[in-house]
Amino acid sequence: MAGRDITVTSGKGGVGKTTFSANVSAALAELGKKAVAVDTDVGLRNLDIVMGLENRIVFDLIDVVEGRCRLQKAIIRDKRIATLHMLPAAQTRDKSAVSPDAMAKICAELRAQFDFTIIDSPAGIEGGFQNAIAGADEVVIVTTPHVSAIRDADRVIGLLEAAEKQQIYLVINRLQAEMVRRGDMLDIPDIMDILAVELLGTIPEDESIVVTSNRGELASLHAASPAGQEYKNIARRLLGEEVPMLPIEEERGLFKWLARLFKGQ
Amino acid sequence: MGFLDKLVKHLSPGGYGQQSKTAAKERLKLALTYDRGGLAQGTIEQLRDEIIQVIAKHLTINEDEIDINFDRTTEEDRLIASIPLRMAPRAHTKRGQMTSP
Repeated sequence: MAGRDITVTSGKGGVGKTTFSANVSAALAELGKKAVAVDTDVGLRNLDIVMGLENRIVFDLIDVVEGRCRLQKAIIRDKRIATLHMLPAAQTRDKSAVSPDAMAKICAELRAQFDFTIIDSPAGIEGGFQNAIAGADEVVIVTTPHVSAIRDADRVIGLLEAAEKQQIYLVINRLQAEMVRRGDMLDIPDIMDILAVELLGTIPEDESIVVTSNRGELASLHAASPAGQEYKNIARRLLGEEVPMLPIEEERGLFKWLARLFKGQ
Repeated sequence: MGFLDKLVKHLSPGGYGQQSKTAAKERLKLALTYDRGGLAQGTIEQLRDEIIQVIAKHLTINEDEIDINFDRTTEEDRLIASIPLRMAPRAHTKRGQMTSP
């Protein structure tokens, strides 16, 4: 059975596409699926370093596109999880080195081998974005609860609908429960009201993302990481499982409240 | 700030006055109406003036209190115009007084 190609994009930079791509691919692999994460941010590659695979790169996407090696040679197998793979971007070229057609061909080949191909898109709506969406009919839009990110996400949704993508999902990243509770951060209903596409998941702001990427580890493989667990839930939802959304709850409790008060916050 | 001030501030939502997310949501809705509709910034002003002109041809209106704005929900976008009418002053005598023969 053919696999699924899913592009992860956002418009806005720095909202968590690469973190999402890395962690959800890992979670899918841990759940037994054969998954490959593809970095299409040619010239500014990051998927490799976030996944801790930066020292394993021999060939990359551009080598494949330009015929210097076969696709198989460029795909890196993660030594930690047997079914997790990664196809890196080139660092010394730029997005003009790939075309949407070339990308679509590669995605078709990957679809034949992998259950899930997660395509990490660069920021923007130009060539890199066009390349990244060429091979997939399912697109995940990552946004954060900020006016800039949401505005960009809306633009991207418009472009995807015009490109007749069949399935568009939204992921809201970096939610801060305390700010939401105070009314100083847009909450999930607000964002859904504005963007109005299917919600795939919400990820809380979580220091463990910084710590795990520092180490080249994946939070979704750590049971103690709140964000990691949400990436895992998203993987399960992609597999058709009904997983309830994380409610926005901060740790409350009388002592914590009092402690904050006396600390003068 | 005294202890009581701190207590009150902590208990009230949004220490910076009106909850800033309300402002964010309103601004986004308006910005996206323009973005999605490809409208230029001055369009709403132009629309407003033209609507006032047309209605003023047929009705007496209170121009100062006209409110014309876009309203967006998940199902639809609407242009909402709220136009208070001014009662035209009567041409003849005050109410309650008999006219002289």
